[in-house]
Amino acid sequence: MIWPRMLIFRNLCFCLLLSVGLLAAQGLDPAKLLQPPTDTWPTYNGDYSGRRYSTLSQINAANVHDLTLAWVFNANSRALKSTPLEVNGILYFTVPNNVWAVDARTGRQIWKYTYEDKQGGDLIGNRGLGMYHNWLYFETPDAHLISLEAKDGTVRWNKQLGDPQLGYFATMAPLIVGEHVLVSVSGDVTDIPGYLESVDPETGDMQWRWNTEPSPGEPGSESWPRNSDAITHGGGMPWMTGTYDPELHLVYWGIGNPNPVMAGDVRQGDNLYTCSIVALNLDTGKLQWYFQPSPHDVHDWDAVQTPVLFDGTFDGKPRRLLAQGSRNGYFFVLDRATGEHLLTAPLISTNWASGIDQRGRPIAKLTKFPTPNGSLVSPGSDGATNWMAPSFDPQTNLFYVNARRMFSEFYLTEAGKAEGWAGRDRNLWSTSSIQALDYRDGKVRWSHSLGDGESVAGILTTAGGVLFTGDNSGNLLALNPETGNVLWHVNAGGNMVSSPSTFQLDGRQYLLTLVQGLMYAWVLPDSQ
Amino acid sequence: MPRNLYLRAAIGLLYGFLPIACLFGQGHRQPRPSPMANPFAEAGAKTFAQNCGFCHGNDATGSRGPDLVRSLAVNHDKDGDTIDPIVRNGRIDKGMPAFGAGTLSDQKLAEVVAFLHARTLEARRSAGVSSDYPLAKLLTGNAQEGKAYFDGAGGCARCHSVDGDLKGIASRYQPLELQQLFLYPGPTGAPTDRTAIITLPSGKTIEGKVVHLDEFSIAIRDSDGWYHSWNLKDVQIRLKDPLSAHRELLSKYTDDDVHNLFAYLETLK
Repeated sequence: MIWPRMLIFRNLCFCLLLSVGLLAAQGLDPAKLLQPPTDTWPTYNGDYSGRRYSTLSQINAANVHDLTLAWVFNANSRALKSTPLEVNGILYFTVPNNVWAVDARTGRQIWKYTYEDKQGGDLIGNRGLGMYHNWLYFETPDAHLISLEAKDGTVRWNKQLGDPQLGYFATMAPLIVGEHVLVSVSGDVTDIPGYLESVDPETGDMQWRWNTEPSPGEPGSESWPRNSDAITHGGGMPWMTGTYDPELHLVYWGIGNPNPVMAGDVRQGDNLYTCSIVALNLDTGKLQWYFQPSPHDVHDWDAVQTPVLFDGTFDGKPRRLLAQGSRNGYFFVLDRATGEHLLTAPLISTNWASGIDQRGRPIAKLTKFPTPNGSLVSPGSDGATNWMAPSFDPQTNLFYVNARRMFSEFYLTEAGKAEGWAGRDRNLWSTSSIQALDYRDGKVRWSHSLGDGESVAGILTTAGGVLFTGDNSGNLLALNPETGNVLWHVNAGGNMVSSPSTFQLDGRQYLLTLVQGLMYAWVLPDSQ
Repeated sequence: MPRNLYLRAAIGLLYGFLPIACLFGQGHRQPRPSPMANPFAEAGAKTFAQNCGFCHGNDATGSRGPDLVRSLAVNHDKDGDTIDPIVRNGRIDKGMPAFGAGTLSDQKLAEVVAFLHARTLEARRSAGVSSDYPLAKLLTGNAQEGKAYFDGAGGCARCHSVDGDLKGIASRYQPLELQQLFLYPGPTGAPTDRTAIITLPSGKTIEGKVVHLDEFSIAIRDSDGWYHSWNLKDVQIRLKDPLSAHRELLSKYTDDDVHNLFAYLETLK
């Protein structure tokens, strides 16, 4: 009779421990990423669709002019380019080599982790973290992937993703999908191949790797010269976070530009899968389909911009759609189940293409390739848009993108067999605007100027009928997403080089805007 | 007193340079010396061409043998620790002979290592166009046609004179700077030389140089040097922007126009 009692007691203890454990846990179930972001902002883009649209509406067009500061956090750091995760009242965000956990209610620091980069990696930026249960994932300037305990920032493990001696670095916010942590490498100057990896969340062991250039002989390799090392040194860094369709079980990723960057002669052909949007099977990393916005790029116009997923009617047929506002200045709409091309339209005026080919790809004018004496091209290498987040608002059916009309003189500087960049453009004049595009016909419904210069502010839309972004004069803006008219603005003391986000906590909707090294949390006044 | 003079001279120099620096923004940088401009690496280039160039190409970008600028061994090398053993022992299985001290002295080998490091550094630094970019590469246009464009279709002569503001301009700027300067003479995004006439609700007007302008407010500095600002909803403004013609030309120029105009301006020594 003693044994059963002991068993009951042990079982009771176990249940008690389990429930205490659950109470204490501050973690994130990957299933949360399948829901619209409301009480959490659980991944770089808020959810898998990449729409950067929130269903929250407490802050709305009627009251947005009443926004007031809840708190300001001063990171005393270089510009914040990440989008903070918000999970159970805690914000997690980064700059290169640094991770913070900050109380979302008060803006007080909980912990800070600093990575010692012994190899001197590239400090250009870091987009943020991925979170799986109680663990965080962070990429470093010297191309390592680090897993941290979310409660205190202690290191669980540290894995090398790429060889910094060859020019690899890493900036991306990892994407968690089920039992996969999707990570990638960056590169810029040196002629190294790109790849995307899926690693095990618990151990960091590789599950699969997809190389952005096919192996010689594989489909796609015919788009590179034969009898040359070009294909094995062709660049193509997938340096921005992708998106995911749980029903199709496909992940979508934008791929970077080829190397040598400005010298195409040594890599004749389309150079697949650089400057492409690709659909990969989540479990195997196998390529399902691809579309290439910029075949044989020589202007640094990668196609890493978020492949945004939404459903809609196109030519009278319901479709699962994917849209990208691409760095080359064009807006692309595809069927994301099949990769079928549906629409190509300019998102802003450019001068480098003579038309659109039958497959929907802009046709590059050879006369606008970089030359030793200079070639006047619009846009410049910084692109008609870049990594700043676009947004799709299902209430207006409009796709919003921060676009730059810009001119640059492109020089090809290298003679002989080109290596690295082999040239560069020099910026002349640029001006920026938010463009509201209708995916059904590619028409720009409205355009709101952000002023001269190159804006890198991202966009958030909400069910409250508000679009949040920033201009080139340090103003944070709330616009009417139907018209582009200003609903609210404030001079935040610097330009936003990140993308706004929102979440609800204790019944209050917070809007986060990161301006240089400052994070502002906006709410409605208590009385509302 | 002499100290004061030095100070004045320094300030004078500073002010003298300031407008040029402002005009060019990021462009006006002292060019970095080429990694190859180092006697050790230069000597290494010759040794490399004599001993290694037949297989690896004289510039080390590969020929029958692999490209060494992109090579793992070269990029991981520290002072010869990975390159030296490969050169001394060869890679016989891959067809590379060994180079003993009799063929290649330690000194010569060290020079080759310096050359290979300089080559990788050159590739890593190839993401820029230095301000001392050679005139010969830029000077491909026809100066006569450039003059015709300047006086005619370009409309340049409406604001500029080759005997006035542009006199001797080619002696004042390096060629690449001159090409950038005429294409767009302002740092991108800056108010530069804009002036505004503000009409106040009273009907009074006030004119000055634009200090700030966004879609909500304007600030100017008047002729006495005083700063004023208004909310745009409270005033009417008329802008005068001497750079607007430069912006309009950017979408009209052909590349031939650009190169011809450059060839013409380059004659204004």
